[in-house]
Amino acid sequence: MTARDRFHPDVQRYLDGEHVEGVAQRDIEEADRFATAMHTYGAGIGAPDARVDAAVMEAVRTRRPSHEGGSFWQWLVRPHQVRVRPALLAAASIALIALGGAAVSLLPRSVGPAGADAAPTVLVRFELRAPEASSVTLAGSFNAWSSDRIELQQNTATGVWSGTIQLRPGRHEYSFVIDGERWLPDPMAHAQVDDGFGQVNSVIVVGPRGVVRS
Amino acid sequence: MMPRLHILPMLGLLSALALAVVPAAAQESGIAAQLVARGAPADFADRVAQIVASARADALPTEPLEFKAQEGWAKRGRVPPERVLAVLQQLVGRLEQGRDVLRDAGLDASGPVVVGAAEALGRSLTPEQIRDVVRSAPDPAAAGTGLTVAALLTAQGLPAAAAARAVSDAYRSGRGPEEILEFPSTVADAMARGERMPDIGQRIMQGGMLGSPGGGMGGAGSGGHGGRPPGMPGSKQGTKTQSNKP
Amino acid sequence: MRDGCMSDAELVRRVLAGEVELYRVLVERYRAEFGRYATALLGGDVDEAADALQEAFIKAYDSLASCRQPDKFKAWVFRIVTNQCHNARRRRRLHVRLETIANPASETADEGLDRGEIKKAVGAALEALTEEQRIAFVMKHIEGRSYAEMADLLNVGQDALKMRVHRARDEMKRRLEGVV
Repeated sequence: MTARDRFHPDVQRYLDGEHVEGVAQRDIEEADRFATAMHTYGAGIGAPDARVDAAVMEAVRTRRPSHEGGSFWQWLVRPHQVRVRPALLAAASIALIALGGAAVSLLPRSVGPAGADAAPTVLVRFELRAPEASSVTLAGSFNAWSSDRIELQQNTATGVWSGTIQLRPGRHEYSFVIDGERWLPDPMAHAQVDDGFGQVNSVIVVGPRGVVRS
Repeated sequence: MMPRLHILPMLGLLSALALAVVPAAAQESGIAAQLVARGAPADFADRVAQIVASARADALPTEPLEFKAQEGWAKRGRVPPERVLAVLQQLVGRLEQGRDVLRDAGLDASGPVVVGAAEALGRSLTPEQIRDVVRSAPDPAAAGTGLTVAALLTAQGLPAAAAARAVSDAYRSGRGPEEILEFPSTVADAMARGERMPDIGQRIMQGGMLGSPGGGMGGAGSGGHGGRPPGMPGSKQGTKTQSNKP
Repeated sequence: MRDGCMSDAELVRRVLAGEVELYRVLVERYRAEFGRYATALLGGDVDEAADALQEAFIKAYDSLASCRQPDKFKAWVFRIVTNQCHNARRRRRLHVRLETIANPASETADEGLDRGEIKKAVGAALEALTEEQRIAFVMKHIEGRSYAEMADLLNVGQDALKMRVHRARDEMKRRLEGVV
């Protein structure tokens, strides 16, 4: 390689983000063009989407029966790994319509004991760390599952989204919705339950004094 | 002199009659109207309404069905309408099973209890465990709460027998549904502190109760709670509650 | 009150304790973060990267119990992803021709001819690097990571990483002469 084939050591340090002096402007511009081209390339190549998550979870569930030893996830069992390619995804969604008898295990409910109409609501805080998300909302039995009404606010420094809502004592089923399309369980919920549609909802039980979540 | 017709009471009676006739239809169209308002196709909304109306006519609780229909529509990106309808039918079946478990033992089968029983069945509680919870509860509403909590405890990892026992023991010792509602939080907290579900379950079956020093939570390793259940005023765990923070 | 975000270590612990569904939170977290890395390592083929990520996360789940430091889950998964990409590359023909390199879905019909050509050229040039150089270069220039981050994820010293990146840059510069 000739000298022109290589970046000058000072330019290398410049590209490393170090402060350098005495470098020719032409070399700086060349380095900037290089870095920009790489950045453009990166921005243009795309990346796998959330179908990876779904495929991973399907495979993972078949490896781990539920505590009860019951047929909680049996209706999702597949003898082979699901590939993510779009054509096979369509086939997978058709297969999932066949439901077993024990498919739906928990019923949705958003009220506490009868007479809880008079029970005061309790403030409950929801938090999720999602630094890459553009929006995070809360959808659940307490708001008729609208995925665009309860918006969490982001702390840009920590990447944590949070919000506080009023809930009646009792059982509530819900999910986070990331960027309006990805439904994500809440690690801080009391439990995750089968939603009957092949995914999972989070559940909390709110007492009169609120919720303790780990 | 002509006798005066008492117009106002007549109107009152007529409107009362009218209201008596209208509500079923109006209620039925509630969920359909709501779905349509959110962009659902009319035939899908109608079929949902039919399922709900049929359940109502059968004196089954319908709120779980409406919630599940709303959820299914909200998740329409992934869930075809046929799937939603199939799940709703399954729910109706589960509600009927729950009601049978109660009626077969002559127990109260009002709405909240039926919902609780259906949830519990879905989490593999046996009919006897379900009935035991219902018998231990002070009233039907508390029974429904107890079953809901027992079902959730199993989702947290407690074996069904221990979950049912935790609730029925608590009711029999005079606790109320407000305290039962705290159990999932108590369990979550214990798990966060490293206690393991098998240990918690074992303690319950050996006669300890959730929320008491000899029971699931205040035992080994946590230093005791001075006899008060976690979450109650005066307990050391009060600061962990996440509620009531503006 | 505990901090709202659940740490990797806590999630790993709970998944191992039986809360399988929480694994999805980890997958979502790192699929987003490592997705572009995998795609770049696989010549821009998003589908192949998706397969590699999927296999990596499943493998990670299968050996989750042997992840000896749950708080280093990220670096651990990163290495599995890197290995998976390596296997994928070995499986497919690495003799990539300039005009067949990119994922057709990312063809730049809308973009100017320049950008499409640059994309192809950069992709081909990356293929010509050594494995170590390619990984280091992608982390530095495609992902924009600091040398400290790279050192942590790769368990390699920063000086060694700088050398790999510098050499990679020179090689890229040479191959992209006239294009960039």
